[in-house]
Amino acid sequence: MKTNRREILMFAGGSAVGVLFTPAPWRLITDTALWSENWPGIPAPARGEIRARFTNCSLCTAGCAVRARCVGDQPVQLSGVSGHPLSHGALCPFGIVGHQLPYLPARVKEGPVKEAAAAVADGIAKCGLTEYVAMLDPRPARTASWTYRRAMAALKNGRYVAPSSDTSIAVDLSKARTVLSFGVPVLDGWGTPGNVNVARAGFRLIQVEPVESRTASMADRWLRVRPGSEDALAQALAGQISHAAAADAAGLTVPEIAALAQELEQNGPVLVLGSSRLASTAGAVVARRETPAPEEWKKAAPAADLASLPDRSVRVLLIDESAPGGYLPWNAIEKKLVADNPVVVVFACSREGYARHANYVLPVGVYPEVAEDIPPAIDSVAATFRIAAPLVSAPAGMVRPEAFVAAAAGLAIGDTLRERADAIHKAGRGTLFTYADAKSQALKDVSADNFWKALNAGGCWIDEPDSKPSAARLTTVASETRPAEESELPLAVVLTHELTPGSPLLSKVYRESNLRLAPGRVALNPSCGLDEDALAVFETLLGKCRVGVTLDAAIPPGVVQVSGSPALMDLCAAGARAKVVRV
Amino acid sequence: MALGAGWLAFPRVLYRSRPEPVNFSHKIHADKAGAKCEDCHSFRDDGTFAGMPAIDKCAVCHAAPMGTTAAEKNFIDDYVTPNREPQWAAYARQPENVSFSHAAHVKRAKMACETCHGNTGTSDNLRPYQIDRISGYSRDIWKTPGTPHGMKMADCVSCHRQKGLEHSCLDCHK
Amino acid sequence: MTSANKQIRAARYGMTIDVDRCNGCGACMVACSVENNVPPAHEGATDRKGLTWIRVYKVDNGEEYPDRRTAFVPVMCQHCGNETPCVHVCPQQAVDIDPATGVVGEMPQRCLGCRYCMAACPYHARYFNWWDPAWPAGMEKTLNPGVTPRMRGVVEKCNLCHGRWHAAKEAAAAAGKPDTEPVDYIPACAEACPTGAIHFGDLNDPASPVAMEAARAESFRLLEKLNTQPKIYYRSKKDWVREIAAAPQPGARKEKVHA
Repeated sequence: MKTNRREILMFAGGSAVGVLFTPAPWRLITDTALWSENWPGIPAPARGEIRARFTNCSLCTAGCAVRARCVGDQPVQLSGVSGHPLSHGALCPFGIVGHQLPYLPARVKEGPVKEAAAAVADGIAKCGLTEYVAMLDPRPARTASWTYRRAMAALKNGRYVAPSSDTSIAVDLSKARTVLSFGVPVLDGWGTPGNVNVARAGFRLIQVEPVESRTASMADRWLRVRPGSEDALAQALAGQISHAAAADAAGLTVPEIAALAQELEQNGPVLVLGSSRLASTAGAVVARRETPAPEEWKKAAPAADLASLPDRSVRVLLIDESAPGGYLPWNAIEKKLVADNPVVVVFACSREGYARHANYVLPVGVYPEVAEDIPPAIDSVAATFRIAAPLVSAPAGMVRPEAFVAAAAGLAIGDTLRERADAIHKAGRGTLFTYADAKSQALKDVSADNFWKALNAGGCWIDEPDSKPSAARLTTVASETRPAEESELPLAVVLTHELTPGSPLLSKVYRESNLRLAPGRVALNPSCGLDEDALAVFETLLGKCRVGVTLDAAIPPGVVQVSGSPALMDLCAAGARAKVVRV
Repeated sequence: MALGAGWLAFPRVLYRSRPEPVNFSHKIHADKAGAKCEDCHSFRDDGTFAGMPAIDKCAVCHAAPMGTTAAEKNFIDDYVTPNREPQWAAYARQPENVSFSHAAHVKRAKMACETCHGNTGTSDNLRPYQIDRISGYSRDIWKTPGTPHGMKMADCVSCHRQKGLEHSCLDCHK
Repeated sequence: MTSANKQIRAARYGMTIDVDRCNGCGACMVACSVENNVPPAHEGATDRKGLTWIRVYKVDNGEEYPDRRTAFVPVMCQHCGNETPCVHVCPQQAVDIDPATGVVGEMPQRCLGCRYCMAACPYHARYFNWWDPAWPAGMEKTLNPGVTPRMRGVVEKCNLCHGRWHAAKEAAAAAGKPDTEPVDYIPACAEACPTGAIHFGDLNDPASPVAMEAARAESFRLLEKLNTQPKIYYRSKKDWVREIAAAPQPGARKEKVHA
């Protein structure tokens, strides 16, 4: 049959009308709409049974109790444990996204373990009579720290170096009526946040600092002083210099300083943070017993200050950066290393810190992958023992710094956390608080095995408080203020600290809002002449590096606020001055 | 011809078929094991629905062969012994943007399983899983005429409208 | 749609936020992002193009030191109760107000991305997905199954953690509670706030702490003059914070011009 155009068109028209009476086109439309809603490449969350697991956050020494909402065994959300006697259910923004740390894109995933061990052995063998093997521990008083001390004691020339932090004293916030803080972020990342909140109504906070921090905005009184003049003010309050001299240096008035001195006198007990020139009132600072440890461990090396080591004397340096703590700037460390081929081994999850200066960077597990204990917080009047129980497994190939260092020193170790727990149990004091049921019981009523189980399933041990007031002064290198350095550089440096490394989700507070200054950025007054988000070079007497610029009218002209990434902290000695120029 | 294509050929083309990994017989288990729906498809303590039972539920009885069929032996060798989960395709699996609560329908509304799932519980074998090529959804929950067995929102809404339970979109979407 | 509905005791979920307690830490912002599967910032994201369902703003009283005072104000969708602007303007009906809970619910799956609602919202509480979400490799394991991740091109906003509301409803159904009663749950921001500044509850329940706090004299809402009847109440003893919340006309407040 010969088809002509008319017939084809009629057939097509008839089909078109006919097909509308079938489900086909309607189905195609709805299915396409459904297809457009389920865009490929958008990940679908895994489904499964929702469980609660418990651990403690090891990102800082607050060691807040954590309740992890898990899908199967995978944590998807972290929150605090309400009713906890120390953390009171609080968790800071860094702790809230702690469960994402294992997936950091720039994480150190592998390292030359065998070569590092060989180099360390070689270095130890080559040590001269006046040369040392040093172990730098940024977070002392952990169980691993005991192992490091024992390992250094096992070597004839081992030295254990830790930032000076005396764990035999603690702050009793409940007793303090006035807190005088020289730049210490009391209300924003100091001590145990939950504990600070609970005690807040009981003390008057006077914050002394050049730039209004979050703590200063919440304090009862903010004293704006010139950067570097905090020490002068402290000296005046301690009676070492005249009020007039301090007023000059700080940019305050004499009556202001006199009134402050009088207030401190009349409203004690006073807690002084950030300056060891002034003594806190005894009672605000208390003695604290050490968390018990096995007797055999007590033959360990004492903690040394970095300054006590002679310059150019360290042949082998091991740094455990797996637990973040006080950051010592590299130039202070570098001058202790021998000039010819020192061996520097750094255990880290990130290449941003000491790894930049290391010969060997060895990968470690991160929170919440590794079982590690958290030393007591500065504001915990009683000794504590809590384990950051792992919630997920670490990837293959991670190094345990404790095992590496012990092997290098020829020290045989067992399950040190279990040995520590057993020693605490043997001492018989204190209470065990378990998170799943929020119950406290005396340690005496718990068997050693159950104690160990409870610590690993979410629990903490709290000692009986010593209840002896201490006249000791609080000193931590990180928070000591120093006079400004003499230099031509135009800007005074004010350092702020954020916990690093942090989850990419912290971009909410760093980039998608202007709430917090991201590590590696500086903030300047708009009069500086630079644009928002400009790339600039930050330079001090110690060197230079690239930074991003944030403009903030709250920063006084002549001041640069620096969010301390390790690279920036290397450049900023206490009292540093800087200049920031466009790239 | 268009009608023929639309009604007959189009559904064949639109759906892709996939057999279930194990040809499970609900009938045998209901008759011989005396199992009811909730013995394997149970609620957890927090009210969520456990869905497909995990392999350890099957292993309770089938750790060793209970019968003489080759199918059961294959099942034990492939899944029970290596403790491997069969990759079941749930006919009623809701897309990502839907929040369906079994507790609300079974415990509160006291609906029978058959109302949506038809006579799955008495079927002797599992029919193939038919997946819509364009949208990626399952074709239907269980093809029983007269029941709201479709996978479209309209199928759920028709019953909700009858019962006066249409408050807001986010009741069912997440 | 609601004419033939069952009678239920309707809730009006709302919040009171104590501005004097907020220390600007941002815990609420990250907790919200974890709960609602909000992705980390794309490379091109700035504070104008980011996704922050709740955002903490830093405000000050405009004075110089020593009279300068600063405060932090968390702002999320205010769940307007009267003539909800976004509901009115959406051409797709992708947002509706739930009569049972008072929550203004956004359905990103229905949204076509015209962003009319973003223009209509007086609180700038709606955010657009300029890019497809991307999590670093492995981090998608930490996604919350209770909330759907969105694709690019749609608007999203706070819905008072509706995923948690679903879970609470399911638990209530399993426990045999009647569905006419509102359920008790807590959104991620209120749970996460370390200082306890955010309180959540049913404003319709006179016995709930939130309803009682909202009724106090020092409670106020943002942009009250617009009469959107939001359900988020703020509390502060500082007058200047109330003034900022009322957003007076320029010149009505004594303003100092500063660089």
